[in-house]
Amino acid sequence: MNSFSGGRLSNNEKEFIQAALRAEQRIDGRRPFDARRLTINFAKEDGAVEVQQGRTRVTAIVTGTLGAPYPDRPTEGSLNIFTEFSPLADPGFDSGRPGELAIELGRIIDRGLRESRAVDTESLCVLAGRAVWTIRVDIHILDNGGNLVDVANIAALAALASYRRPDCTIGGHDGQEVIVHPPEVREPVSLILHHYPIAVSFAFFGDGDIEALDPTVKEEAVMGGRLTVIVNSQGDICAIQKGGGVGVRHSEIMRCIRIASSKAVEVTNQLKKAIEANGIERAKRKIKRHPDQSMSEAQKGKAEATQDIQMEEVSGVSADQDERREAVMEILRTEEMEEEPTISEVEEEDDIPVKVDGKKQKLNVGGKDIGGMKVEPSGKEAPLGGGFSLWANEAVNGAERNFGADSKQFDSDAIKEFEQVSEAIQGAKTQEKSIKATSSPLGLLDSGSLATMAAATVYAHMAVGEFPEGSRPLGPVFPKVEADENGQRSTLDSIKPVPTSLLDAVKKPKKRKK
Amino acid sequence: MINLEMSEQARVDGRTANQLRPTLCSRSLLERAHGSARWQQDNTIIMAAVYGPKPVSGKKEDPERATLEVLWKTKSGIAGNADKEAEVTIRRTLEYIVLSSMHPNTGISIILQVVNDDGAILACAINAACAALVDAGIPLTGLIVAVSVGVTTHGVVVVDPTKVEEKNFRAHVCLVFPNRPKCTVAGLPAPVGGEPAEHGIITCVTRGAMSVDEYMNCLERGRAASVKIAKFTRTSLEHCQRSYEIMS
Repeated sequence: MNSFSGGRLSNNEKEFIQAALRAEQRIDGRRPFDARRLTINFAKEDGAVEVQQGRTRVTAIVTGTLGAPYPDRPTEGSLNIFTEFSPLADPGFDSGRPGELAIELGRIIDRGLRESRAVDTESLCVLAGRAVWTIRVDIHILDNGGNLVDVANIAALAALASYRRPDCTIGGHDGQEVIVHPPEVREPVSLILHHYPIAVSFAFFGDGDIEALDPTVKEEAVMGGRLTVIVNSQGDICAIQKGGGVGVRHSEIMRCIRIASSKAVEVTNQLKKAIEANGIERAKRKIKRHPDQSMSEAQKGKAEATQDIQMEEVSGVSADQDERREAVMEILRTEEMEEEPTISEVEEEDDIPVKVDGKKQKLNVGGKDIGGMKVEPSGKEAPLGGGFSLWANEAVNGAERNFGADSKQFDSDAIKEFEQVSEAIQGAKTQEKSIKATSSPLGLLDSGSLATMAAATVYAHMAVGEFPEGSRPLGPVFPKVEADENGQRSTLDSIKPVPTSLLDAVKKPKKRKK
Repeated sequence: MINLEMSEQARVDGRTANQLRPTLCSRSLLERAHGSARWQQDNTIIMAAVYGPKPVSGKKEDPERATLEVLWKTKSGIAGNADKEAEVTIRRTLEYIVLSSMHPNTGISIILQVVNDDGAILACAINAACAALVDAGIPLTGLIVAVSVGVTTHGVVVVDPTKVEEKNFRAHVCLVFPNRPKCTVAGLPAPVGGEPAEHGIITCVTRGAMSVDEYMNCLERGRAASVKIAKFTRTSLEHCQRSYEIMS
C-alpha cells in the first residue's frame, strides 16, 4: 500500500530501507517499535491545538454550534470531523475536495471517538428534540512527515479536551427558549470525555513479518501494509483498521495490539499532563477577565512571554532551527525595546509618556498585551515604586467598574484560583527568578515590584478605592476581612494552600528554560 | 460588550496609537515545503508555505514566466468569496516582487494557512508570504512589508488594529510598501534618514469609509510603521543567513 505522498523513491532507497528493517534498524535511527517525540502545543484560544510528532505537524480546531438534532437521536448532540490535507503539507496534496486518504483518516478518527463513546454526546443536549450542540472538529495537516492518523487523532483529542462551549440555560416565558451566554458573562463549559482513544499505527514490510511503529514518509512509501489500532489506556480496543495490503499472521497482529496498548498508556499520560498544564495557563489567563486586575495583567504578559518562548522552543525540528528561532526572538525583544523610541520620534506628539519613578517610559511593556490599562495623564507619580499602579487612576475606577456587576457572577471560582496562584507566586522564589529571567528584556518591572504586584492581585479584587490615594503603603498589605456581597473574601493568612494539581503545577514551572 | 471609549492615547490592550503588536517570524518550519514561514502578530498567526518552481499543467503554463498561485486556507469552514479575494490580492502583490521570468514554464504556489485571526490578517499573510518566498529561495526583486491601519469612530488613526478594534472602527486599511534599502534605478530619490529609498504603495485594500484627510493620514502612519517592520524583517532574514555562515 503506497502512500502517494511518499514521493518517488529510488529502488536503491527502497531496498536500503527494507534491508535496514530486517536488521531491526530504521533510517532515522529508531528501533522498530520506537515512536517519535511528541509535542502538544495549545493555542491561546479554547479548542485549538498543534501537535507535532517528529516532522509531522497537525493542527485541530474545535467549534460548536447549536442546532437541531438528528431525528432518530433527539437527545444526543453530534460530533463531526473534517479533515483537510492542506497543500501546505505535501506537494502531492491537492487543494479542494478531500481525497480518499483524507476521508479515510477522518473516518478512522471518527470511529475511534464516536463508537467508543469517548465524547459524551448526551450532555450536549439542551432541549430534547429541538436544540443540541453540534461539535465540529477541523483537522488540518500542516506537514506530512508520515503517520498522519496517529498525530491527527491526538490533535483531535487535545482540541476536544481544551474546547469550551458556551454555557446555556433554558428560559423564556414558555421554558422553551435557549439562552446562550457569551463567555464574558458565564464561564464556558468543557466537554465530557470519558476516555482517550489513542491511535497507534504499524507498517508492515516484506512478507508481513517485519513491523515498524510510527512510520515516516519514506517508510510509508515502501511499506506493504498498514495496521492502525485505536486503544485507550484501560486496554479497551476502540477500533482496528487494516485496509488491505500484505497478509500478516494473527500472532503478529496480537503482538502489535499488545505494543499498541502500552504505547497508548504512555501517550495518554503525556496528553493528560499537557491538558492539565494548559488548564493552569488558562486559569492564569482568566485573571485578565476580572476588571480590577491591572497588575495581574502584567503578570499575564510575563506568563505569555514564557509561553511564547516555550512554544517556539518546542516546535523546533532541529537544533539549528531552535537556535535560529531563539536568536530571532532575542533580537525581536531587544529590538522592540530599542525601536520604541524610534517610533516615538517619528510621531512624538501622539504618544503619551508615563512618569514612573521619575523616568519617562513607554506604557507598554515591550509590546506585550497588558490589557485594560488606561494611561494616566502625565505628571502623576505612581504611588507604588517600580511598577504601575493603575487602580489609583480614576479612569480605571470609572470606566471599568461597570464590569464588576456582571463578572462577579462567574468569578467566585476564578477568585479562588488566582488567590492560590498569587499566593504561589508570592511564595515560590524560584518561579520569581524564572519570570524575571524571561522578562528582563521587557525591562520595566523589576523583582522588587513582584511582591507588590502579588499583593495587588490579592486585594485588587476588592472594591477599588478602599485605600485613600496618598496613604497606600509599599509592599504587601494584608487587609482586614470585611463582609462583602459575595461573602467569600478572606485574608491571605487564612487561604490554605489547597494541594490541588492546579497549585502543584503552578509551582512546577521553575524547571522552565531561560 | 467591552466599552471602547477610546481616548486618543489608550487602546484596549494598552498600546498607543502608533504601537505595533509584538511580532514574531520563524522560517523553515515545514519539512516538505520548499520554503515556509510563520508570522505572528501577538494573536494573529499565519503560516505560509511555498512550493516552487514546480511543473504545472498545460493550461497554467506560461512560456515566458512562472505562474504564481496563492491558496488561502481558513481556520475552519469552507473558503468563501472573501478568501478568494484575499488570494487574488496577495497574488497580484507578490507578482510585483517575484522574478517570474527567471523560471518560465513553471509554477510557484504559495499556501497561507490561518492559524488564528485577531485583526490585520491580510497584512500578516503578505508578510508571511514574503518571508516564505525568501526561505524557498525564489528570486525576488526586493522585499515587501505590509501593515494594517485603522480609523476609529472619532477619526483617530491607529496602527495594527486587533479584531475587536477592526469591528468597532469606522474603517481599516491594509497597506503594502516596498522594502528596498537601496535602489539601482536611476532617477529615484536617495535614501532619506534611513528610510528605504523606494516610495510607493504596492497594494492598498480598504474596508469602510473615511475622509480623504483620514486616508492620507493612514498612508503616513502606515509608512512610518512599515519602516519598523521592514527593519525587523531584514534583521530576521539576515540573522538566519549569518547563522548558516557560522555553522558551515
